[in-house]
Amino acid sequence: MKPGCLVLETGEIFKGFLFSGSAQVGEAVFNTSHTGYEEIATDPSYYNQILVMTAPLQGNYGAHSDFWQSDHFWIKGFVCLEMQNSLRDKEWLEKLNSHNIPVLSSVETRQVVLRLRKKGVVWSAIVPLSKDSFHQALSLIQKEKAQPKDWTQAVCIKSFKEFKGQKRKGPRLALIDFGYKKNILNEMLKRSELVGVFPSADSLREIKDWDPEGIVLSNGPGDPKDVVDGTKLVQKLLTWKRPLFGICMGHQVLSQALGAETYKLKFGHRGSNHPIEDRLLNKIYISAQNHGYAVVANSLPKDVEVSHVNLNDKTVAGIFSETKNCLSVQFHPENHPGPREAVQLFDFFVDNLIAKSQSAPSSSKSSSHLGRTRR
Amino acid sequence: MPLGKDIEKVMIIGSGPIVIGQACEFDYSGVQACKALMSLGLEVVLINSNPATIMTDPETATKVYIEPLKCEYVKKVLEEEKPSALISTLGGQTALNLSVELEEKGILRDLKVTLLGADLEVIKKVEDREQCVKILSHLGAGYAPNCLIRNFKQGLNEVKKIGFPVILRPNYTLGGAGGGVAYSMEEFRVRLAAALAESPSSEVLIEKSLLGWKEFELEIMRDSKGTCVVICSIENVDPCGVHTGDSITVAPQITLSDKAYQEMRTEALAIIEEIGLETGGANIQFAVHPQTGERMVIEVNPRVSRSSALASKATGFPIAKISALLAVGFTLDEIQNDITGATPSCYEPALDYIVTKIPRFDFEKYPGADNILSTQMQSVGEVMAIGRNFKESFQKALLSLEKPEVDCSVTFDEKKLTYPNSERIYYIFESFRRGYTVETLYNLTSIDPWFLEQFENLVKMENQLIEMKNTWDKNLIHQAKRCGFSDQRLARFLKVKEKEIYKFRKKTGIRPAFYKVDTCAGEFESQTPYYYSTYWGKGGIKYKFKKKSVLLIGSGPNRIGQGIEFDYSCVRGVKELKRQGYEVALINSNPETVSTDYDTSDQLFFEPVSLEHTREVLEFICPSQLIVQLGGQNPIDLAGELSKEAYNIAGSSVKSIDLAEDRGRFVKVCSRLGFKTPRSALAHDVQNALSAAKEVGYPLMARPSYVLGGRRMEIIENEEALQVYFIKYGRFFSKSRPCLMDQYLDSFLEVDVDMVRGKDWAVIGGIVEHIEATGVHSGDSMGVFPPQRLKPKVCDRIEQLSLDLAEELKILGFLNLQLAIQEDEIYMLEANPRSSRSVPFISKASGVPLVDLGVQAMMKKSKKEISGQLKSWKQSSYLSVKGVVFPFKKIKKTDSILGPEMKSIGEVMGWGEDYPTALTKALISSDFHFPNSGEVFLSLRDKDKMLLLSDIQKLVKTGYTLSATKGTADFIQKHGLPCEYVKKVLQGRPHCVDRIASGKVVLVFNTTSKSSSVQASFSIRRSCIDYNIPCLTEAHAIQAFIVALIEKKKNKLSVQPLK
Repeated sequence: MKPGCLVLETGEIFKGFLFSGSAQVGEAVFNTSHTGYEEIATDPSYYNQILVMTAPLQGNYGAHSDFWQSDHFWIKGFVCLEMQNSLRDKEWLEKLNSHNIPVLSSVETRQVVLRLRKKGVVWSAIVPLSKDSFHQALSLIQKEKAQPKDWTQAVCIKSFKEFKGQKRKGPRLALIDFGYKKNILNEMLKRSELVGVFPSADSLREIKDWDPEGIVLSNGPGDPKDVVDGTKLVQKLLTWKRPLFGICMGHQVLSQALGAETYKLKFGHRGSNHPIEDRLLNKIYISAQNHGYAVVANSLPKDVEVSHVNLNDKTVAGIFSETKNCLSVQFHPENHPGPREAVQLFDFFVDNLIAKSQSAPSSSKSSSHLGRTRR
Repeated sequence: MPLGKDIEKVMIIGSGPIVIGQACEFDYSGVQACKALMSLGLEVVLINSNPATIMTDPETATKVYIEPLKCEYVKKVLEEEKPSALISTLGGQTALNLSVELEEKGILRDLKVTLLGADLEVIKKVEDREQCVKILSHLGAGYAPNCLIRNFKQGLNEVKKIGFPVILRPNYTLGGAGGGVAYSMEEFRVRLAAALAESPSSEVLIEKSLLGWKEFELEIMRDSKGTCVVICSIENVDPCGVHTGDSITVAPQITLSDKAYQEMRTEALAIIEEIGLETGGANIQFAVHPQTGERMVIEVNPRVSRSSALASKATGFPIAKISALLAVGFTLDEIQNDITGATPSCYEPALDYIVTKIPRFDFEKYPGADNILSTQMQSVGEVMAIGRNFKESFQKALLSLEKPEVDCSVTFDEKKLTYPNSERIYYIFESFRRGYTVETLYNLTSIDPWFLEQFENLVKMENQLIEMKNTWDKNLIHQAKRCGFSDQRLARFLKVKEKEIYKFRKKTGIRPAFYKVDTCAGEFESQTPYYYSTYWGKGGIKYKFKKKSVLLIGSGPNRIGQGIEFDYSCVRGVKELKRQGYEVALINSNPETVSTDYDTSDQLFFEPVSLEHTREVLEFICPSQLIVQLGGQNPIDLAGELSKEAYNIAGSSVKSIDLAEDRGRFVKVCSRLGFKTPRSALAHDVQNALSAAKEVGYPLMARPSYVLGGRRMEIIENEEALQVYFIKYGRFFSKSRPCLMDQYLDSFLEVDVDMVRGKDWAVIGGIVEHIEATGVHSGDSMGVFPPQRLKPKVCDRIEQLSLDLAEELKILGFLNLQLAIQEDEIYMLEANPRSSRSVPFISKASGVPLVDLGVQAMMKKSKKEISGQLKSWKQSSYLSVKGVVFPFKKIKKTDSILGPEMKSIGEVMGWGEDYPTALTKALISSDFHFPNSGEVFLSLRDKDKMLLLSDIQKLVKTGYTLSATKGTADFIQKHGLPCEYVKKVLQGRPHCVDRIASGKVVLVFNTTSKSSSVQASFSIRRSCIDYNIPCLTEAHAIQAFIVALIEKKKNKLSVQPLK
């Protein structure tokens, strides 16, 4: 443990104590969840981000690999006020250390949060404290910013994978991976006989060959505008008219494919307490959130409705189109971490969108369940 | 859907007097609800029997009825007011039970009153544990194996199936009254009998004990659209087995993972849906197995609960206000979050701090009581503190308790670790100092190791600080402050005065930052100045007021002797100060109160009411004046020190305060003015006392100087007793804090006077005549306004002397006097230069707005400026009686005899056109049971016998039969009345206690004075408490009770709104 600091690109320095050595760069973001540090740190959407937790105590309930949302840590740094570090329990700290994630503790996190809220998220670095901290951080940041833009390609799987689902005779579902959280897959497996996970760099051909009855577009990191290939893929998927369900990045990419604009939020939505008005289910519930970008409401085409609204700031939280047979939400119905009410949207997708498209005579669906060829 | 058009007038039922298990958190919720509904333009009718609360202030609702919370009285009010709706969920268990009764009797239907909030079916579903269990098993939720017992025999059979230890929970009782844990069949028999007697429906749920499981609570809100949010998760530091009201708790929960927490949350929402709660707040308690993580539902409350006040203060989410709005038709998304001013109320607060609640116990005031915590609540108040981490929050809370044990030193005793008790936390600290490990302590206490480790870390920090000695390490001290160590404790470690630590901090810049409780962890901008201090932020920043400003020091935790009355004064004071054009900041640590509502004052500081924290607040906001007269004794004690630091204290100067409190000088002033004073002397040790006692004479009253609620005050009959007194309390006395010894004024008439003096004016608020004679603490006496026995000319003289005294002391603001009168001589017992416990009662009884006037006096308003508000206290055409409520039922094994040490916890008010009416209402509200006929058992001391003879004759005439111990029986028979002779306890069986236990006796009168006979008759009084038989222990109170007993038989019923 040595003195360290979080340096913002704009010059602010927040001091603390640094566990583990190497300096790291990332976009500084804050999350207001009381729990779920392990799920958050392993969520690919946090790729290239330094995570500031507003809850003061971290590591307080230990660590369990069951909570992991992928096979890696994706955050670039973990900043908190107090880190559990006792002889009895320092599992979380050790886990982060062993994955070479710098942990900056004893930081006055509220000041960081107020700064990010007022002036917006910025690039930052965690570096050891020295006279030179600022310049060291700045040069690291410059280097990192020069890296390729489409972050989804850095985190998504490289080749197709198939998973056996738990629901006999449930629909075959494809998951287009922009950096999916494990629980999206888990929720799909509960409702499906077979789930195929496709790299988002795959072509329409490969997906068509596998012949899914419904397609889920996963969450993922970075600016949706940089996800050019992914957007093109979804445009093609739209013409194929199989039911689509987008989550977070999946929602943004779908919106872009529909012709809508996305924009960067000042400091994003990251937490477990945002209210959503769900006009499809006709309910208001609390959702799990993690996004830095949003869809511009009035850029959506006419046959696409805003089906979900974030009641805190009235931003678009979801869209639905009956004609295009698609649904997407900006938040995380798969939760982990966060409240679980929105998980019903997976049911809605299976019970309404997929079921309906199968019963419709004009459906482009080519074959029945049985007569399908396996890839 | 906003406001239903058919709702114009709403009735709210309050929770009645403060009792253990139902304290002022419901005044807080009721007041919030009234405020919210009145702001919608609705008429609000309130009924509550408690005069001490701001809730029954005439400004709180459109119409306020201070009437008994009994079905027939509520019905009468409903008939007169004809409201369209009744909200049942804001007045605790009392209001809920009443609503059930009104509905079941068809009264609501007949009067066309809609029940809002929870409906009857919902209440029944959850209050009836058998039905509740059905719902839980339907949802697949876990619960402890249990069985509903309807009779004794069934209980003995069923308990064998469940196995020990087993918890007993009587149906429909509050604060777990009558419940407990039984470890053996023997214990079970005793507890079951008591529990069956306690439950109004004679039903007791017995369930497998979850001792040692972790305990959690979720505070939930639901609206009519079905939107459900969890406002706050709370974790109990004390594991299952301790009533949650008696547990140290933290928010948000700490030891559950997201997975475990979300599963609990999901289950909670499902339960709310399933029970069919339509709108409002609810609270669900869970137990979680510390190793397996298995989860059980412990309790479901479909209403605003005790924890709701805490959850509101902890998160900034006003649960009661929103509940009220939801009840009249709004939905969560339609109500704005006041704190951010931008987001809706359908969200879950995110906290970037830790909140700790610690209950306050007053076991030492109840000799003989067992200091063992169990499933029946025993705490009398609570504090809450906010810090950035657990350590800071926890230690601030400990300091907020305002207990001397704050230095955490106790004489170590490992046994005290093995069962929950009010001091266990101090024993835990002590055991770490002695090198115990977290593991050992976990085995002894079952407290989650996470918390134990935090305590261990605090002790480690303590050691580092002590080792530092003379070379003060700035960084270490800063770290210590971040762990919540008070200056006071640092000073003890470093063996210097507290002031030195403050100076050092000031020099080195170790100052607290004031952070906002913003409901959103900084995500949105906060509009509400609701602050807490923390050493995690950058200190030294100053706030600028827009106009002239004051800091009002609040009253801290409720305790015996200082309760909700001071919250009344503070809140009413804030209102008046605002009217006078001041910006008002307030500091307080009590989450149950209205004063700690974020919209009561202009700025709220949720901080310990200590010298250190008050001073830091003062430096942060630099108000023009400091108000110390409204928050009880503690602010007065702080006044001296703060005035030395050049803070401007509003009203009476510290010199005046000192003069009133310095016994020696004060006596001289009194005698100069014409008050008699009891002979008195000071003593700092036993030798000193023995010789001084010769001048004073026995019996004498001994007590420490600067006391509250008669702490350690005793009547001493002889030298031997004086020696015993010094053995017990000698350590509290020193030359600077001597023991006061006063001549004991036996059987005098006692009165309270509350008055206000301005710079060129003064007003008497009223004189309350005690029903009991001197010797009973003024807080424990019933009182009547206006005086009934005091001669008018004595009354006039009291007024004149009081005015003279205020003049002489140069009081600016409040003055409270306690006087004793015999044969037209007026004795001065005590003078308090502040708002007093009796101010709310007197204000409501006399109609004189005492607090408003007191504030204006402090603000140096002239006679000309206030002339319109000066009323005479004699104008009131009504009679008011103050009744008192005691917690003896809850505090096991303690004696109910009244004496100079205060024991009551709550008060009630009865009022009417004549004394019997007012008295009867007061006694009904104090929950006295009036037997219609049957046997009255008497055991009277000699001097009361003749006094009570005519009353005893009245009893016989009205149809009661008599039994008595030898002396009393002889006396009664000698006067020609039939009376059965019963043996005293020590005279062999069957004796009087057997007779009481047998159910033959319906009423007991037992007066006694010498300590030996007090001891001998203890079991009489205790058995009355245990078997719910009214027992009176003072002659004048007995006379009053008989008046009411006869009045009650007339079955007259009238109600009157406060004017």
